[in-house]
Amino acid sequence: MSKLAGKKLILLGERDGIPSPAMESVFANSGAEVVFAATECFV
Amino acid sequence: MAYVGIRGTAYCLNHASELGFHYGTTPWQERVAKPDSPFLTDLAAKVPGYDVVSRYAPNLAYIGALDMPAFAAAARPCMEHLAESSTRYGRYGEIMPEDEFLALLDICDVFDLIWLEKDFAAAMKAKLESHPVIGPVQIARLEAGHEAAEIEAHINDEHALPLYCGGKVVGCCRRGHEVDENLSAHVLLENIASKAGAVLSLLHLIKNAGLTPDDIDFVVDCSEEAAGDINQRGGGNMAKAIAESAGCSHASGFDVRAFCAAPVAAIITSASMVAAGVRKNVAVVSGGCIPKLFMNSREHLKKNVTPLECCLGGFAVLLGPDDGQTPAIRLDAIGKHSVSAGASPQAVTTALVYEPLTAAGLGFNDVDVYAPELHDPEITLPAGAGNVPEANYKMIAALAVMKGQLERTAIADFVAAHGVPGFAPTQGHIPSGVPFLGHAVDAIRDGRMQRAMLIGKGSLFLGRLTNLADGASFIVEKPVAQPAAAAVNAQDVRAVLLEVMEDMAGKLKG
Repeated sequence: MSKLAGKKLILLGERDGIPSPAMESVFANSGAEVVFAATECFV
Repeated sequence: MAYVGIRGTAYCLNHASELGFHYGTTPWQERVAKPDSPFLTDLAAKVPGYDVVSRYAPNLAYIGALDMPAFAAAARPCMEHLAESSTRYGRYGEIMPEDEFLALLDICDVFDLIWLEKDFAAAMKAKLESHPVIGPVQIARLEAGHEAAEIEAHINDEHALPLYCGGKVVGCCRRGHEVDENLSAHVLLENIASKAGAVLSLLHLIKNAGLTPDDIDFVVDCSEEAAGDINQRGGGNMAKAIAESAGCSHASGFDVRAFCAAPVAAIITSASMVAAGVRKNVAVVSGGCIPKLFMNSREHLKKNVTPLECCLGGFAVLLGPDDGQTPAIRLDAIGKHSVSAGASPQAVTTALVYEPLTAAGLGFNDVDVYAPELHDPEITLPAGAGNVPEANYKMIAALAVMKGQLERTAIADFVAAHGVPGFAPTQGHIPSGVPFLGHAVDAIRDGRMQRAMLIGKGSLFLGRLTNLADGASFIVEKPVAQPAAAAVNAQDVRAVLLEVMEDMAGKLKG
């Protein structure tokens, strides 16, 4: 059981860093629920 | 292998501190929410003047007044080591003062939207008459001007936006429709400013390439603005409007939009047209983006650094048929980030760097310089966005390690050897690789460089239609001589015909 099981996640990504879809795929099998994911662009 | 020659480049900045202070998104929204905000007072006191921006090394590198080795060696931070004197013109273009840019807005306005106060208009006419690329065709479009009271009435009663110079109202931008928000004064000001910046770069490009306006066959605009009304928001073809104002009477055009990836996408599109023989001389152009002026100024002021986002960026690139000598784009190794490519930095870098290199039979070390997002780190670091080009270089190096083409311990050396410091203003599409093209062409032509790769990335998710980002890349190098095709003469044709006829005769006998 993952340490994140049952947790709720807010994921904030950055275009030239780690975008949110990449983070979502990392946590896909963690048992956590992604309640918000967004990618921002600061440039 | 198909090559398309890069026949010229031009890069211009338009100093726009007052346009940015009033109409950049960050101060604009703050003014709407909190007109007496201390942030606005602080920003007003710290906006850089022309004397600063024309001595700032990244700006000088952008217009070609500083070559890349000299820029890389310049003392950092550049803001604390300004050049001793101002420089307006470089090899590629200029840093235009804001008063002249306001006049250029009027020159590029064909719907009587920009009004200038008559004394200001007269003063600007006198200044622009000695401009090296703005000629009689453009000067003739500068209006005689209006009474200050007339301008004030339109600002107070007709939703016109004031235009400032030295803190005083010297004109206004009028709305194009009473209820259509797509033709509001704010939207039209952004579009006319983008158009004017592109016109200035196109005029410099024509001069730099040694051509006349009539030599341009086609113009492709790749800015981030949307031109249209309520029934066709973003209908576009700013390109043809730009060609008209630059006096390119034989040209037509269209627009390419792909957020910040658009310049690379537009160059690939235009190069394909040239390679196919559809167009001969194609100019890829863009002006700058008013909303992004002072975009990160809130963070800059918090960190007590100069808010440097006060210049609109613009560029123009001329593509033509390969002549075997001119540095060229190779069309057999184009980077594409497909829908299924994946969003991780590794996946994006694989699609945009590794795959085109592999297609070209090249390794990571075969590219002298990679030019990804070339944002000026003195703007992005205090804003919390990091050193964008350096982050991209590290990812390219890390991928080279994963592919077995680089030792892990050599990552720092790879970044130093194959990267350049960022020098472009945070104008979205402007930093996307293209600012390096002029420097790359010069270095390849002079034998200082064999090959560069330009990489553009776009944040499509900002449009709320997809969560995807996008990217595109291409390689520029000195063309490799192609083996000459054997000439075919009449005797060869006769021999083939005889062979075919004998073959047919044999079949008929059988």
